[in-house]
Amino acid sequence: MSQADIFVILRGLPWTVALTLGAFLIGSIVAVPLLAARESQFLPLRLFAMSLIQVVRGIPPLLWLFIIFFGLGMSYFPISPFVAALTGLGLIAAANMAEIYRGALKSIHHGQWEAANALDLGRLSTVAFIIAPQALRVALPSAASYLIGLMKETAVASTIGVAELAFQGNRLSQLTFQGLEVFAVVGLLYVVLSLPVAWLSRSADAYLRSKVAA
Amino acid sequence: MDGAVLYLADPPQSSQDRSNGGIMMEQGSNGTVIRLRALSKHFGAHTVLDAIDLDVRPGEVLAIIGPSGSGKSTLLRCINYLERPDGGTITIGPTTIDASMPVERAELSKLRRRVGMVFQSFNLFPHMTVLRNVSIAQERVLGRSRAEAEERAMQLLSRVGLADKAGQHPGRCSGGQQQRIAIARALALDPEVMLFDEPTSALDPELGLEVLAVMRELADSGMTMIVVTHEMGFAENVSDTVMMMADGDIVEKGSSNQVMRQPQQERTKRFLRAVHDR
Amino acid sequence: MLPAYEELVAWLPELLAGLTISLQVAALSLLFGMPLGLLLALGVIARSRILKTVSLVLVEIGRGAPALVLLQFIYFGLPATGLTLGSFTAAVVALAWNTGAYTSEIIRASLQSIPRGQRDAAEAIGLTGVDELRYVLLPQALRVALPPLLGFSILIFQGTSLCFTIALPELVSRAYEIGSGTFRYFPVLLAAGCLYAAVSVPAAILVGHVEKRAGRYAER
Ligand SMILES: Nc1ncnc2c1ncn2[C@@H]1O[C@H](COP(=O)(O)OP(=O)(O)OP(=O)(O)O)[C@@H](O)[C@H]1O
Ligand SMILES: [Mg+2]
Repeated sequence: MSQADIFVILRGLPWTVALTLGAFLIGSIVAVPLLAARESQFLPLRLFAMSLIQVVRGIPPLLWLFIIFFGLGMSYFPISPFVAALTGLGLIAAANMAEIYRGALKSIHHGQWEAANALDLGRLSTVAFIIAPQALRVALPSAASYLIGLMKETAVASTIGVAELAFQGNRLSQLTFQGLEVFAVVGLLYVVLSLPVAWLSRSADAYLRSKVAA
Repeated sequence: MDGAVLYLADPPQSSQDRSNGGIMMEQGSNGTVIRLRALSKHFGAHTVLDAIDLDVRPGEVLAIIGPSGSGKSTLLRCINYLERPDGGTITIGPTTIDASMPVERAELSKLRRRVGMVFQSFNLFPHMTVLRNVSIAQERVLGRSRAEAEERAMQLLSRVGLADKAGQHPGRCSGGQQQRIAIARALALDPEVMLFDEPTSALDPELGLEVLAVMRELADSGMTMIVVTHEMGFAENVSDTVMMMADGDIVEKGSSNQVMRQPQQERTKRFLRAVHDR
Repeated sequence: MLPAYEELVAWLPELLAGLTISLQVAALSLLFGMPLGLLLALGVIARSRILKTVSLVLVEIGRGAPALVLLQFIYFGLPATGLTLGSFTAAVVALAWNTGAYTSEIIRASLQSIPRGQRDAAEAIGLTGVDELRYVLLPQALRVALPPLLGFSILIFQGTSLCFTIALPELVSRAYEIGSGTFRYFPVLLAAGCLYAAVSVPAAILVGHVEKRAGRYAER
């Protein structure tokens, strides 16, 4: 494999990064109202949110992208591969992040709720000022490993033609008939991409830990 | 408590003839079961055991006392190689292990067969029945048949007063019962020496008593025992010998009467005063 | 937008045949992958340097690279070495590798979660290393590992959808084919989605229950 070939593959890098960060951002934000609905006192809303989360997670990401790109895009309103992938992966990320937030919330000792109630803070202030800051710290490691998982998940976007890493690898292997090296390099790139996230997560965790301890 | 002393298999001997050895066993030279020479252990730069020499006679009950962190647990764990010592020799019966040399698995297994150990936190296997806890090593280590192993296990469980728990899982038993099962498990290999690391520290005083009763029965039957303990009553009344440790060293060692009533070393006096004032 | 009843009746046999292949690939991948995961977990904690390195490399690639890339590496890449696998075999090999890598981490973590005292006790009663693993550590570790292993099994089932890219006639491939034939993409893909959800959602609920029960067991 020549140096030029590697540059061809690297052309997919921005797309992979954009897709990963975009979907993660969408997911992290949409997950908040989704979780609120999931924990709502209003039963129909709660049931709706619970089933939505289950169904989104119950269908493979690749099929979600197909449903959005081929199902909706080809038949009802045209949509670009990138936007379709961003929508699908963002949706999946929202469902998964909602579960991560929920696990973190549950891990906060109920004494914290009681203490906040004793101070007569409202539910919203309690969550915003007491619970959420602690929960975020707990959620961080899972969120970081989910971010890495999501980054690998973005490879499915190649199937609807987003020109990211796996897509470039695929095209190059068809051009050069050197699938072995090409896919090895592509696989390695994903591993390399996950390193800074893992590193960031570890240092952020250590930083937050020291802040809580102090 | 259900008075484990009632289930004695062997009649108790008076403590005078205990030191002659109620049971026969292979002996090293000079009538010792355990002989440690210059046993040392470091964790990093920290010396936890500083060239310990120790002889234990057959049938002797040795109590080890001393402040937290003085190396008592480490000493016990080194004796059966749960912790690898850095230097010195361990002789148990005819087997001598030189800690400065690599040790073969077979040697280690011989050593461990001669030594039973009871832990502060019981460490029973939660996924096995009580009976299986006591029979597994007999099958896997001694090669006994399952029937044989279970028969012996039942005997041992009766001895500690828990035959009725045989089919249950340890999680269902009280702490005192769990520790008695752990003693039965350790006895299953017919060890020559039993090591106890604070066997009652994790228990309420009342549950501790039933464990102490079993240990006293064991002592009376002539078992050689090394017991790390904070129970001054046990050190004073059951053990023959008491050894005081501090900072990885033996401060003093003598008959239990002498060390507990007339300690020679200032360090021991201070420790005993602190314990009594509690 | 929704499929008509007649359409559904016409597509269903085809879709169910695809689902069967998806389930077969998932089952075989787990069947080979989980024992591989156990071996890799033991390899990673082994004393032997070579064993450790080989296991680590297999684990890091198997979980570090996307399953899609593993699949294409094996299906499109391996023929260059003279080893050509059919799409079904390639799918099982790739997903079993992926399974082995992930489950080895699950098993390793559960082995490490067992209190130190269990090892001490096993060694003190003279059990050899193999017996210690077989009778004391693994039975406890597998109980801890069960919920995450089941959860991972659902992901592998969903992962079979990636085999679309190597032309294995599994569920997504069949749905896509029907879609391109009839241009009724949305209804047929939706039907395929329902079939996936019909397996995954009850399975996920079941895993949730197992998780709760395992949590109770751990508290005892
Ligand atoms: N695995 C280890 N790594 C590092 N240091 C250790 C380790 N185990 C024990 N130590 C240190 O060795 C010293 C002796 O520990 P040990 O457990 O033998 O004390 P002890 O006399 O049994 O105390 P206690 O009465 O609290 O049980 C302590 O300072 C302890 O911190
Ligand atoms: Mg100790």
